[in-house]
Amino acid sequence: MAAFAQEQLDALVNGMYREGFLDEQFQQIRALDEGGSPDFLVELLGLFCADTDRMLNEAALLLNQPIVDYKKVDAYFHQLKGSSASVGAHSFKLTCMLVRDSCDKNDKESCLEALNLAKQRFYELSKRLNIMIQLEQAVYAHKAGK
Amino acid sequence: MMASPLFLLLALALYFSPLKKQQIVEHILKVSEAAMEKMKGEIGEEERSNCDNQGDGKLKVRILVVDDSLLDRKVVERLLNKSEEGFEVITVDNGKKAMDILGLNEAETELAAINDQSIDIVLTDYCMPGMTGYDLLKAVKGQSFRKPIPVVVMSSENEPQRISRCRAIGAEDFILKPIQIKDVQRLRNYAKPNTSSPIVGSKRKMKPLELATESGGSEKRPRLAGVVVA
Repeated sequence: MAAFAQEQLDALVNGMYREGFLDEQFQQIRALDEGGSPDFLVELLGLFCADTDRMLNEAALLLNQPIVDYKKVDAYFHQLKGSSASVGAHSFKLTCMLVRDSCDKNDKESCLEALNLAKQRFYELSKRLNIMIQLEQAVYAHKAGK
Repeated sequence: MMASPLFLLLALALYFSPLKKQQIVEHILKVSEAAMEKMKGEIGEEERSNCDNQGDGKLKVRILVVDDSLLDRKVVERLLNKSEEGFEVITVDNGKKAMDILGLNEAETELAAINDQSIDIVLTDYCMPGMTGYDLLKAVKGQSFRKPIPVVVMSSENEPQRISRCRAIGAEDFILKPIQIKDVQRLRNYAKPNTSSPIVGSKRKMKPLELATESGGSEKRPRLAGVVVA
């Protein structure tokens, strides 16, 4: 059972690297776990997902105003770009940069397009991260139970 | 031993009667204070060594990490703690709190308990709301600390103007986020642990020589515990 979970986990992570969801920074984050426990990784990814979800919603609200505060939208995506870089969320980081480019041009239409792309990318990423967290915990639970 | 000079002085006092007793007491107190200071220093060094020593003779480096992003603070803290470079990590989420810790704000806060001289190096994010990392860098470099505190700035933006701006006012280095293991090794090179800084939360407490006042007299004469000076 543990071996199966480990296989699933390895396949998932390798796939995420291959598809560009993750970059080498994620490997560094994983290496920060202690004693094989995924607690730190789980905490970090949970924090990332919660913060990202909140900021995407707030940015969407701002972009749906009659007069858009591009500075505020840019500030959110500056933070999102930073946090995604910190956890190794490569493709999501790139979409954040696209939103920022649109904010620079004060272009509402392209901002909204880029935001939708960012939301979609985040949705795909967070699905995989949630599965990863469950598999990490399952593998650790089996190893710890030995 | 501490007692010997005291007894010697007392003996001399008794022998050379013209010496005023008050002067003798004052001199004894000076001697004992000097001895206590010396012992404090020795104990302080030992405590620092016991508390902060990594076991290989290296002293721990106290690093103040300033970043408004909780996620980034957690990553940096973990990276620094896990490295073999011997860091003691203190994190804050804004420049104002960093100033408090460094003793640069006049207003006393609960954070002021950490003495400014116990921070060996500051690692600050550049982009922060309110007080930016650049403002903090400027404030730190504008102070004449007993021992200068190195400041390293980190940023997710690789902007040459930003980097040269920071270096121009004395930043030791500029690191691109996300911070890597090799960056941690660089940080260690900039920081030298402060061996003369006061110990926070020291285990042993010095009991000073107690000065007791005589009761019942209009003029209170100090006397050493166990020694009566008429």
